[in-house]
Amino acid sequence: MLSTRTPWQVTRSVWHAMFIREALARTMADRMAWFWMLFEPIAMIVVMVAIRTVVLGRMRSIDGADFIPWMITGLFGFFLVRENMMRPIGAIDANKGLFAYRQVKPIDPVLVRCYLEGLLKSFIFILFIIVGTLLGVDLLPADPLGAITAWVSLWSLGLGAGLIFSALAGLVPEIGKILRIISMPLLIVSGVIIPLNFIPHDLLVYVMWNPIVHGLESLRASFFPLYRPVAGTSFLYLWYWILGMATLGLMLHVRFELRLKRQ
Amino acid sequence: MIKVENLYKRYHNHHGSDWVLKGVDFEIPTNVSVGLVGRNGAGKSTLLRLIGGMDSPDKGRITTNSRISWPIGLSGGLQGSMTGRQNVRFVARIHGNQGNIEDIVQRVEDFAEIGPAFDEPVKTYSSGMRSRLNFGLSLAFDFDVYLSDEATAVGDRQFKAKAKKAFHERVGRASIIMVSHSEGILKDLCQAGLWLHEGQATWFDDINDAIKAYHQSTGKQTKGSKTA
Repeated sequence: MLSTRTPWQVTRSVWHAMFIREALARTMADRMAWFWMLFEPIAMIVVMVAIRTVVLGRMRSIDGADFIPWMITGLFGFFLVRENMMRPIGAIDANKGLFAYRQVKPIDPVLVRCYLEGLLKSFIFILFIIVGTLLGVDLLPADPLGAITAWVSLWSLGLGAGLIFSALAGLVPEIGKILRIISMPLLIVSGVIIPLNFIPHDLLVYVMWNPIVHGLESLRASFFPLYRPVAGTSFLYLWYWILGMATLGLMLHVRFELRLKRQ
Repeated sequence: MIKVENLYKRYHNHHGSDWVLKGVDFEIPTNVSVGLVGRNGAGKSTLLRLIGGMDSPDKGRITTNSRISWPIGLSGGLQGSMTGRQNVRFVARIHGNQGNIEDIVQRVEDFAEIGPAFDEPVKTYSSGMRSRLNFGLSLAFDFDVYLSDEATAVGDRQFKAKAKKAFHERVGRASIIMVSHSEGILKDLCQAGLWLHEGQATWFDDINDAIKAYHQSTGKQTKGSKTA
């Protein structure tokens, strides 16, 4: 029963068990869990649209894209990255009791949470696209394959960051708290609410260091055929970050596996 | 068979890092149950964790051809936020028992006898209930060697009798490595003994000799109080 299974079979069964455990915890945590999953992005979009309209007045021109679809794609892409980055931080702690079984490694809840988060966010995004289209908002991607690629890239970016931060926060708990604070301004510097075309070139050079911008601009470019992404948007640069962070994250998990299990 | 060779283990803490185990060597033959004795902090739980594969030694190695359980005890093995039933299902799944999960759940539920609490979060359990669940859970799988870290200490009379019976039924098929401060259950279930003292392990073919050695080492400080 036990000794005949290959490592891959063991890992598969751990992921399966962990997925069911995490999915239950995520969706059945309280009676309103499902409601909030839908209502949160709606509320967020309403608030952001309100802020934009008040702050920037009538000036809502974005070349090649309607304002609301532009904002929705940005918000969903951004939250995909942020949730993948932040959710794994608590993942190891929330499953501490289960590391008594040597099959379960600290990286398992991290991977499973990111996978689950990706599924939920994709499902809700698709729901928004369908409802939006029915309501007459142009939310259908012009280049579906490109949109999926950009979406998966954003997910991978979050996963890479999640791998690193889950390990670091497990070793030094303060890092989790600091990250929560730092992640707030990311919404603004990633060009989710305010188009980056408006900022001066001197500043843009530094803003473009942020890989999230490259992912979001690629996502928008695939949705709106006439949209011109910010100058310097590069898929290659984004994937350097993804691969770099995933490698570092995996290395941290391999090196500190026992310390993450213990405490 | 479990072979432990030249095992070293230490934990780093704020007061430096003393060796908990310093060059431990022994071999447990197949189907021999062993009782671990030694004073608090002698490294008994550490040794069990190492044998169970939850931790890795700083030096030396452990080789085995047996299927070994996780250390059954008061802490660990159960996730507080999940109900008893969810915990059992999780463990059944990671051990690759996709087809007969309900079967295993039923067996654990019958053994643990904790009633409706089975569907309550484990963090609401008393220590006795936790150990009932944890013990029942491990018995639902066919391991060659069960590791017990004071799992029976908090159980009531009826549970202890039940645990004893479960192991007597498995004599010849499975063995147990147990840490316990109750000598009755050690003598009942174990044949051999291992005495941990100052980072070293001494093997005794007879559990009574191990307990005697342990008593003699403590007898110097607390005369008479331990000779029950």
